[in-house]
Amino acid sequence: MPRALHAAAILIGWAAAFAAGCADPAPPEAEGPARILSLTPNVTEILFAMGLGGDVVGRSTYCDYPPEARRLPAVGDTVRLNLEKVVALEPTLAFLVTKRDDVVGGLERLGVRTVALESDTMPELIASIRIIGTETGRRGAAEILIARIEADLEAVRRSVRGRPRPKVLFAFPMTVGSTTMMVAGRGSFVDELLAVAGAENAYPEAADWPAVSPERVVALGPEVVLVHAAGEGAPDRLDAIRRAWANWPGIPAVRDGRVHVLTEPFLTIPGPRVGEAARVIAETIHPDLRAGGGDDP
Amino acid sequence: MAEDRTTEVADAGAAWVEARGVEFAYRPGDTVLSGLSLAVARGRLVALLGPNGSGKTTLLRVLLGLLEPDAGTVHVGGRPLAEYSRAALARCAAYVPQETAEAVTLTVLETVLMGRSPHTGALGFESEDDWRAVRGALHLTDTARFADRNLDELSGGERQRVVIARALAQEPDLLLLDEPTSFLDMKHQHAIYGLLGRLVRERGLTVLCVSHDVSLAAAYADELVLLARGRVAAAGSPADVVRTDVLEPVYETPVAVRTDEATGRPYVLPRAAAEPSGSAD
Amino acid sequence: MTTRPLTRRRYALTVLTWAAAWAMAAVVGVMVGAEDIWSWEDGDAVASVLALRFYSVMSASVVGASLALAGLALQALLRNPLATPYVLGVSGGASLCIILAGLFVSVLWQPVFGFAGALATVAIVYGVAQRRGRLEPYTLLLSGVIINAFYAAGIMLVTSLVRPAERGAIAYWMMGSISRFDPRWWLVGVVGGLAVAGGMLFAVFAKGFNLVAVGEDAAGAMGIRVSRLRVVTFVGASLLTGASVALAGPIGFVGLICPHLLRMLLGADHRRLVPASLFFGAAFLVLADLTARLLEGIGGQAPPVGVLTAMCGGPFFIYLLRARWRRIAQLR
Repeated sequence: MPRALHAAAILIGWAAAFAAGCADPAPPEAEGPARILSLTPNVTEILFAMGLGGDVVGRSTYCDYPPEARRLPAVGDTVRLNLEKVVALEPTLAFLVTKRDDVVGGLERLGVRTVALESDTMPELIASIRIIGTETGRRGAAEILIARIEADLEAVRRSVRGRPRPKVLFAFPMTVGSTTMMVAGRGSFVDELLAVAGAENAYPEAADWPAVSPERVVALGPEVVLVHAAGEGAPDRLDAIRRAWANWPGIPAVRDGRVHVLTEPFLTIPGPRVGEAARVIAETIHPDLRAGGGDDP
Repeated sequence: MAEDRTTEVADAGAAWVEARGVEFAYRPGDTVLSGLSLAVARGRLVALLGPNGSGKTTLLRVLLGLLEPDAGTVHVGGRPLAEYSRAALARCAAYVPQETAEAVTLTVLETVLMGRSPHTGALGFESEDDWRAVRGALHLTDTARFADRNLDELSGGERQRVVIARALAQEPDLLLLDEPTSFLDMKHQHAIYGLLGRLVRERGLTVLCVSHDVSLAAAYADELVLLARGRVAAAGSPADVVRTDVLEPVYETPVAVRTDEATGRPYVLPRAAAEPSGSAD
Repeated sequence: MTTRPLTRRRYALTVLTWAAAWAMAAVVGVMVGAEDIWSWEDGDAVASVLALRFYSVMSASVVGASLALAGLALQALLRNPLATPYVLGVSGGASLCIILAGLFVSVLWQPVFGFAGALATVAIVYGVAQRRGRLEPYTLLLSGVIINAFYAAGIMLVTSLVRPAERGAIAYWMMGSISRFDPRWWLVGVVGGLAVAGGMLFAVFAKGFNLVAVGEDAAGAMGIRVSRLRVVTFVGASLLTGASVALAGPIGFVGLICPHLLRMLLGADHRRLVPASLFFGAAFLVLADLTARLLEGIGGQAPPVGVLTAMCGGPFFIYLLRARWRRIAQLR
């Protein structure tokens, strides 16, 4: 009988320790700077914006901003990760935006504390910054960044207050051979930027980058069209996009000459530059803002 | 013509190959063998004759167990076919199919070695016995000098002898051949039949050979079996079967029968049809 | 080649030689990689990398062995040296089910769905191709082509309907690669077990494969149960293929190149080809995977293994075709 009690006590002790281990971990002790692996572009931007750039030891192939990040070794992306290189870099902490359990599991198996973040909406972005702050023991820097972002956004909101809210469609160019284009649906990250910039999303439904045909666009009747052609630097390509849209004069935006091609790459990256993204969108929709009218961000 | 006839059982004892009431159709309604009964004694060279479509090849395949008859039984060596495993049957009976244009590059040796398959066990290892049998088969068919040559380098007659060697490598008691001389010239036709005759007389094999050529068969075979429309129309010695009253109804064409004085065997001369316009093509 | 008998001893020697070749390739695959781990000080890190490499080597081995065996068996079954393990539609079925599982269920369930898809396809193709319980090469090939087309359409449909983010993952998976994120040792074990079982099964069928090449009747008369050989080979090769796809996606050309190279080296005798295919296929994919890993180290990004094998396939085909022409011209 006593032996059974003894065994039970040990089991309970193990269970308690196990449960404690499974609970949310306390922030790591300051054993020295963390070695951070950042596998998603917006996370890299956030880390550098928080002043943690020096602790980042590795990045994904697509993390190219800020320019200092390009000097870091690239280990692939979430679809194909060079795990041997990851081990060689000896990271202690990894951040990435993914829904794939196997990638997270693979990194954890190598002894790297891996945190999967979400940033599809503004609240998720803010939450992710806070999580990064907690994990790296830099809550203060996180709150400062969050405050800056919110101030940037508020400045844009103020500059467009009281103006009428036009219907705006945010679209990607049609790819060769395709009959549809991807647009920002309601509830998406870009949709929130439009709201901040004083616009109403011409696409009425909540959807994750739905594909629409030009006919549908005519039916939606946007007053402004923003075409995000990042990375399509060639001027003749941009002209081709404008000419393609000119084929549809039934769209109010085309008729009124309010189709704008935007090439800033950060417009769709949920990161520290969202404020600037909102400002670019606002100034495109309301060109008079550029002249300096309203508060400068 | 519609009656079944069975050959007389030879004095050597029970029939070595026996079919009773065999029926077979490839597709429903397309009957090829209808109530065929046949008995072949041991140690005989029997030629299977008949017009096209009379079921000669089908009968061979049924006797080999490659096709299962819809009705009737087949016995080989006194036992029903069903009692033999495939390998056991292959050790007992060997098949020389009609020459086909299979695109396989094999040497003569490799070809004849294939015939040892029924003897070589699960993984196919070869032993000295196997090689002795192969050498024997090559020797018997006089093909040893081609051993390392590729099959497609040989003439038709030489190739046919190699395929017979492959069958002999199985060390069978029964040899079934399907028109072994169709594509050969006269010299090689007689060489093949001569070989078959020697195998029967010197080795005691039982040989059942489908033939297109009545005269050639009559010159060499101990017995002839004439098939018509899936049944045995006539069976017996060449003198019994090679007769106008037997052949004309089966082949549906006028024939003349003569006797070779040198050998005493009958041979056949086809006659032109009596009315040229009426002959069906 | 057959001037000496294939005795038990020589057979064992053949098997051991090829096994040794594979073992060497495996050792190289573990020791060599993009990172120079032998100069590291952290023992744990070295162990981590070695574990990763060991998983890669074992996965590549079982997949390569399975595909080479399946390819060899199907080439014998269909009497066509250009048959691949994917020609009968099994990879399409496994792929579609794996993709759907990844989208709607979870990545972890993919192998199970892949198996189920492969088995279902086996049943469908058999049902379509069989006549009175027998399989003929021609109808089998036709059924496979039809089923493949159907599955390709299905995969295209799914790809067009999913979100852009997922399209990349699907396209990547379709190239075939050995993922190291999620070491599924249980699946490696299953595929490995199937490969060994398949090797033993086809070793017993090797005689039959040799004989059916000269004709179905001739083979039957020499003791082979051709009908049973066909059905069992079809099912066996399909299971091997389905399992490989479940583990590594549809890696192409291994099932085509390996049997061919071995035939050029060893001749057409399946008794030797079967064990050689098992080990050579394994070694082949191990070295292909090693090449991919080394390229990754040099360039940062490397194509998945399936792309490397496909790139070998094209030139190989051209070479085969020209060799055939030369041989035909010589015969004339």
